Amino acid sequence: MSEYNKPLPIPTVEQEPFWRYCKNHELRMQKCPECGYIRHPAGIICPHCHSLAEAEWVKLSGQGKIFSFVIFRRAYDKAFAGDIPYAVASIEMEEGPRMMSNIVGCEVENITIGMPVKVIFEDVTEEFTLPRFKPA
Amino acid sequence: MESLRDKVAIVGVGYTPQGKVPGRSAISFHVEAARNAIEDAGLKVEDVDGILTQPSPGDPSNHDGQVMPWNAAQQMGMRVRFCSAQTTMGASAGGMVLHGAAALIYGLADYVVCTYGESPQSGRSGEASYSRGWGERAAFGWYNATAGYAMAARRGMQAFNTGPETWSQIAVAQRQWANINPRAAMYKEAMTREDYFSSRFVIEPFRLFDICLVSDGGRAFVMTTAERARDCRHRPVYVMGVGQDHPATNIIQSDFMAGPTGAKVSGQQALRMAGITLNDIDACEIYDCYTYTVELTMMDYGFFASGEGKDFFAHGRTAPGGKLPVNTSGGLLSEAYHMGFTPLTEAVVQLQGSVGERQLGPATGTKSPEIILVSGNGGVLQTHSTVILRR
Ligand SMILES: [Zn+2]
Repeated sequence: MSEYNKPLPIPTVEQEPFWRYCKNHELRMQKCPECGYIRHPAGIICPHCHSLAEAEWVKLSGQGKIFSFVIFRRAYDKAFAGDIPYAVASIEMEEGPRMMSNIVGCEVENITIGMPVKVIFEDVTEEFTLPRFKPA
Repeated sequence: MESLRDKVAIVGVGYTPQGKVPGRSAISFHVEAARNAIEDAGLKVEDVDGILTQPSPGDPSNHDGQVMPWNAAQQMGMRVRFCSAQTTMGASAGGMVLHGAAALIYGLADYVVCTYGESPQSGRSGEASYSRGWGERAAFGWYNATAGYAMAARRGMQAFNTGPETWSQIAVAQRQWANINPRAAMYKEAMTREDYFSSRFVIEPFRLFDICLVSDGGRAFVMTTAERARDCRHRPVYVMGVGQDHPATNIIQSDFMAGPTGAKVSGQQALRMAGITLNDIDACEIYDCYTYTVELTMMDYGFFASGEGKDFFAHGRTAPGGKLPVNTSGGLLSEAYHMGFTPLTEAVVQLQGSVGERQLGPATGTKSPEIILVSGNGGVLQTHSTVILRR
C-alpha cells in the first residue's frame, strides 16, 4: 500500500467495532435489542427507548440514498488538495440511520438529493478501511 | 414559573481592537473587553462580583487548556462570588444573559461581566480550533462548521426552494450596514448582487460571501439588577424575555436541516415571557454565521412562511432604510466574528441610542427602536438562544 497522508478516523471507544467491521468490508451498526432501533454513531444507550442493554452489531445492506451533500471547493488540509472538488454527504441507509461519507464514482455536478448509492470499501492503511459510496 | 421580564438590565458594552490584531492572545481580548465594558457602565472593576466567560478553545498557551473565567479574573485582579465558563458555542451570549439574570435575581452577584475573546487570525488558537478536523470526520475530508451549515443549506434548497437569490439579498443588506459602521471589517468594501454571485464557491452551496468573517478580538457586556441599573451611566437596556431550545443532534443525523431549528420553540418562549408578538419587534440581531442561518432562523421565528424568504428579504427590507433592520453592525458576515457577542452587544448599543451613523431611527431612515430581538445558535444548529431586549 502506498503511503497514505490524509487524516485517519479517531473513533470513540464505542465506535471502534464499526471500523473493525469496515476492515472486513462489512457495514455494521448497533441495533437495540429492546426496541430494534439502529443507531449511529455507536453509544451505550439507545436514544429511542433509552435501554442500556448491549446492542447487537447488525449488518446493513450498504444501500442508501443521499439525504444532503456538500462539495468542497477549497482544501482545508493540503492532503486533500488533489481531490478538489470532492463531495461529502449525509447518507440515509435503507435500514434508517444516517452516516457521513464521500460520494465517489461520479462527477460532483451529477450528485443530487435522493440519489441511490451503495457502499464500497477502500483499504487506505493497514489499520483503516473507509466506507465510501458510489451511485447504485 | 416566575418571569424574568424587566428584572435585569445590560448596562455596559466593551470593545477591543478587532479584525486582524497581531501579537495578542485570546485571553488578552477577554480582559480588555471586560475592563472596557465595566468602565462603559460607569463602574469600577471592584464593583463586579460575577464573571461568565465563553471559553476560547485551542490556544495551547492557555494554562488551563481554554480561557477560563478564573484566568480572566486573575488578570483583572478580581475576586468574584459568581464564576462560570459558559458554552453553547454561538448561543452562549444569550445563555449568559439567562444565567447572569438568575445569579442577579437570587442575590448571588450584584454585577456580572460576560466575556468573549479569540485570536484565530493572528494568535495561536486559529489553527487548532477553526480549520482542524475532529474525530472520524476528517478522514472524509470534512472540516469546520461551514460544511455543516452548507449541508443544511443544500437540504433547504430542496425542501423549500431557497438558494443564492435569497442569500445574496441577506449578504448585500448586511454589507450596507457594515458600510456605515467604522468598526466593521468591511466598512470600506461595498458589495453588489453581482459581487456576491461572482465570489468563489468555498463549500457548495456556499460562496465566500455566504460565510462569516474570521476575527481576532473580544467583546463583553455587564449585567445588573433593574434597580442598580438606574444608577449606571447609560439608559438601562432591560431583558424582556429569554428562551432556549437545543435540538442537540449532529447535523448528519439531524431532522432540522431545513427547520424547524431551536429558533421556533426558543422564540416562542422569549416572546411569551416578554408578553409581546413579532409585530412589536423593531429590529433583529440574528446570529449570521452563514447567510442561510439568517433565513432559517427568521423563518423559524415566524417572520415569514417556509419558502418565502426571497420575497421577505427583497427590496432592502432588512437594510438601512428598511422596515425591519437586521444585523445593523454588519453582523458576523461583515462586521466581526465574535460569535453571539456580535449580535447581542449591537442590540444593546442600538437601544442605548448613541451608536453614530448606523443608529436606528432618523439617521438610517428606520424606526427608532424600542424592542430588539437577538438570536444565537451553536454547533451546527444544535443549540439556540433568544433574547428580547428593550430600552
Ligand atoms: Zn431501544
